[in-house]
Amino acid sequence: MASNSALESTIDKILTNTEKNVISNIRLALVDSQQKIDSAIPKLESEYDKIISDGKKEANKIEKQITGSSDIEARNKQLMTLEESVSKVFSEALDQITNTARNADYSNLIKTLLNESTQILGTTQITVLTNSKDKDIVRSILPQFPGAELSSDQINCIGGVIVKSKDGAMTFDNTLDARIERLKPLIRKEIASKFGVGN
Amino acid sequence: MTTEGGVQYSKIAEIKGPLVIVDDVENAAFDELVEIETKDGERRLGKVLEVGNGKAIVQVFEGTSGLSISGTKAKFVGKVMEMPVSKEVLGRVFDGLGRPKDGLPDPIADKFIDINGEPMNPEQREYPKDFIQTGVSVIDGMITLVRGQKLPIFSGSGMSHNLLAAQIARQASVVGTSDDFAVVFAAIGVQYSEAEYFRRSLEESGALKRSVLFLNTADDPAIERIITPRVALTVAEYLAFELGMHVLVILTDMTNYAEALREISAAREEVPGRKGYPGYLYTDLSTIYERAGKLNGRKGSVTQVPILSMPSDDITHPIPDLTGYITEGQVVLGRDLFRQGIYPPINILMSLSRLMKDGIGEGSTRADHSEVSNQVYDAYSRAQEVRALAGIVGKAGLTEIDLKYMNVGDVFEKEFLSQATDENRTIEETLNVLWKIVSKLPKNEITKIKDKFIDQYYQEE
Repeated sequence: MASNSALESTIDKILTNTEKNVISNIRLALVDSQQKIDSAIPKLESEYDKIISDGKKEANKIEKQITGSSDIEARNKQLMTLEESVSKVFSEALDQITNTARNADYSNLIKTLLNESTQILGTTQITVLTNSKDKDIVRSILPQFPGAELSSDQINCIGGVIVKSKDGAMTFDNTLDARIERLKPLIRKEIASKFGVGN
Repeated sequence: MTTEGGVQYSKIAEIKGPLVIVDDVENAAFDELVEIETKDGERRLGKVLEVGNGKAIVQVFEGTSGLSISGTKAKFVGKVMEMPVSKEVLGRVFDGLGRPKDGLPDPIADKFIDINGEPMNPEQREYPKDFIQTGVSVIDGMITLVRGQKLPIFSGSGMSHNLLAAQIARQASVVGTSDDFAVVFAAIGVQYSEAEYFRRSLEESGALKRSVLFLNTADDPAIERIITPRVALTVAEYLAFELGMHVLVILTDMTNYAEALREISAAREEVPGRKGYPGYLYTDLSTIYERAGKLNGRKGSVTQVPILSMPSDDITHPIPDLTGYITEGQVVLGRDLFRQGIYPPINILMSLSRLMKDGIGEGSTRADHSEVSNQVYDAYSRAQEVRALAGIVGKAGLTEIDLKYMNVGDVFEKEFLSQATDENRTIEETLNVLWKIVSKLPKNEITKIKDKFIDQYYQEE
């Protein structure tokens, strides 16, 4: 029977040792897990912060895209509307100029245009082209410019003259159309400012 | 602007390359704008290059193809080329001569400014010292751009300089101030697809509303390229010095500009200088680059980032060589890095921002910026040496500290240099990555940073 009690005591010892080992392992595992959880928390927090910050960045980017493109779209529509209005004002003004009475003031204007043209070309040996409406006025003024002659060709313009040197080498366009074209950017600005743009 | 028009001359003596020689001309002026009218009534613009003996040499911007001696007329407009400017130009797309390319009408002009600009009075110049954040780590952290600086990007054909240019245009901003910021982007002789990419990229990111684009594509006449940077800079100067904005001007590709200059020079039969470029290439480039800066008593600034592709990656080529004399440093793209698929492939060892030291540090970026940047520069340089050594003796022959430097080189390229094209990093983020790299080194290897910064930012493994 002695061998049985020895066996039992050995088994008891093994059981006790095993129990101790198991408990110690469980404790170690618990500590280990606790440490892992502790170390994971800051990592999780930083990961969380990163996700939030990336999300904010992305949201910011999308907001910029949306506001940027809608701002541009609105501005473009405004520009087109303004341009339409400017064009209407322009064509109205051109109509008025076309139908201006060919009176003494207008004759003075034509004389000024011819004067300016001969000065720029540096000669009065010129051929003058004009439209059918201004032909008579030009013809009456030309004697004041010795050597100048009126061309039989007519040009299509709202008023004014095109002056050519007789050898054909130099031409000066002094029609009202050309003058308006040259000043168009300034006139556009003036009209736009009436609409409250560019003040 | 004047009500007087110009005289039209019909005696064309010769058409030679991009030049038209007009006979019997009186009273033409140097740089005067000329309207060339073809036999079919088509109009092209040009400018007077030379006058004398009754002749005027006119450079036609839109090229002379289709022009004939008989029937072509040249009208001398009586003024130099001007760009209409106003705040309305923001958000607009123009061609290389400053004409609208976005289907919208001409902007309502506030002013008409001579595109040749006026040289800045050196006495009035203010030393540039304010940081511009590009959102590209390697530039912000190690080759910092400063408001009013001219910092070129030296690239090579096929490399990703256009991606980088577009990214800088989208992301650039001034930090720590509520001042307005604008980008003027001039594409000179780029492919249609690239021009479209720039336009779309700015439009989609919402950055177009603070940008002005000038697009001269490769199929536009080469001569137009002479004008494109000048109209762009004229707008930039107006926005900066009249409206008080901080303006970043990106000019890509200046090599195409220099080639257009060479074409005209050859047509004028001038004595060629190096590689056929005119002897005045340096002077001409300086008339563009020197338009960057800040003025005393004025709020705004013009900062330039010209981009040029070096033929055969040759940094001694006249264009990068002469550019380098005028500008304040350079950003060099490396072919090796590009081949490794790294974006942006900036070779920091060959790059330098001469004004960086004045634009960084406490009050502008962060107190530790200069030191941490120097340390990383030093470590990356050492990493390159170690890599070369490893190529001979193998990794097994390297010491432990060599291996650490090698690791620093890898981390630098993977985490700091490499960046997505849509990744916009703040300066704080950039400096944190620099510290991450420095922290791969043992503390006793950190020789360029004060202890207080090491204590504050060194990240223990």
